[in-house]
Amino acid sequence: MTPCAEGCWQKNPSLAWREVEGETVIISPDESVMHELNGTASFIWRHVDGHNSAAQIAELLASEYDVTPMAALEDTETLLTELAERRLLVPAESVEKESGTP
Amino acid sequence: MTETPIMDRLVARTVERHRPLSVHFDLTYRCNEKCVHCYLDHEDHGEMTAAEVCGALDQLAEAGTLFLTFSGGEIFLRTDFFQILEHARKLHFDLSLKTNALLITPARATRLRALGVRRVQISIYSDDPSVHDAITLAPGSFQRSLAAIPVLKEHGIVVKIACPLMRQNLLAYRGVMALAERLGVPYTFDMTITPMMDGGLGVLEHRVSGADLLPVLQDPALRPSRPDPTAACTSSEPVLGSVTSSGIESTAYHDIPCSAGHNSCYVSPYGDVYPCIQMPLAAGNLRSQRFADIWDGSGELARVRAVRESELPICSVCPIRQYCERCPGLALMEGGDLLGAYGRACDLAEHKARLAGVDNPISTWHERGIGKGLANGACFNGGRASLLTEAVLPPQET
Repeated sequence: MTPCAEGCWQKNPSLAWREVEGETVIISPDESVMHELNGTASFIWRHVDGHNSAAQIAELLASEYDVTPMAALEDTETLLTELAERRLLVPAESVEKESGTP
Repeated sequence: MTETPIMDRLVARTVERHRPLSVHFDLTYRCNEKCVHCYLDHEDHGEMTAAEVCGALDQLAEAGTLFLTFSGGEIFLRTDFFQILEHARKLHFDLSLKTNALLITPARATRLRALGVRRVQISIYSDDPSVHDAITLAPGSFQRSLAAIPVLKEHGIVVKIACPLMRQNLLAYRGVMALAERLGVPYTFDMTITPMMDGGLGVLEHRVSGADLLPVLQDPALRPSRPDPTAACTSSEPVLGSVTSSGIESTAYHDIPCSAGHNSCYVSPYGDVYPCIQMPLAAGNLRSQRFADIWDGSGELARVRAVRESELPICSVCPIRQYCERCPGLALMEGGDLLGAYGRACDLAEHKARLAGVDNPISTWHERGIGKGLANGACFNGGRASLLTEAVLPPQET
């Protein structure tokens, strides 16, 4: 699975999730499976909003953590791909279609 | 992936830092069944409006609550229930419901699923309709509750049968197990019959004595362990547990009695916040206080959080402690002391110890003869204490 044309992802709207003390727990109700994100992954998750591209999130990551822009982009893309494979993220435009928003 | 390590880490983190991970939220005490053993006052004394509930949910989400259980009373009696659910969905809670399911329809099941409801717990008291209906005092309720189970399952919602055991249905438990297995759903049995929230003790007449529970305790088909109500994965393992508690079970609790007040709490339809539905220590009210101020500033919650099992004056030295499932809330309600013992727990611990081969087991509480006099009780009418007399304190369990 690859990011949408604009490189933007959206959190799957069916998920339950909460950031607790800097770490995020996500529950996918379809499978009743729990996922856990560490602090760095939670930072990325927090900035997945349907508008930020992977490059934009990586830029924010590099400014927040002691990591090179290249490494930040690689980490961000790796995580986004993994989350998308688990259907925790969906292409931003598909959410708009599903929710009926223009 | 495995679930337990994630849950244990989450529980450990939230207990250590006192985050309200799990909240049991009763939206109404009104009900379309009149169960003989129910501890609620079904009159509406001024339920929170949908706007008030939604405001409370905003605060819970902000405080870190993930697991949210809506219960009652019967939640579907609220005409604004789906409005509340829609708001809860926007806040990304993991949603569970407790209901008698009488008002479940395919259309409602579709909406529940669309709004992210993951689990529904339904009370079934017997596989015999006449026994079930005699407990709910609602003719035809068995068939209607039962019919909802496949409907919810077809919509991808996890369904669990909860069966409180009492005098009227004790011998039906095997039938309930078979029924659940035919339906392909997990189940839990609960031996707890609690006093009324106003301190009334009449409902305790429905309790089964410890001696009469022996067939259940001895049944190898029932593993005497507590359920894990927040586990992400469902289990079909039979359990004995509590169908009223919203507490989380985990090895991460170590020396504290349970989740109440540490990382879980209860909210009443009137906005009162308690450590647990079975622990009548009013911590504050959401109509006049913010949740965070209650959660962080309540003296009652601080008192609950200070309890350590290893420091309990009686129970910590009890030789059969390992067989006991003492509930601190019931210790308060029935024994009048959050730190104390109470007859029901001691009786059941003695029976379990005897079954495990302990010779003449006797709890420290019984050995010292402490449970012979009057004991202070507590109730939900503003946290005021009342008295329970010896005559109405049957030697029964949590």
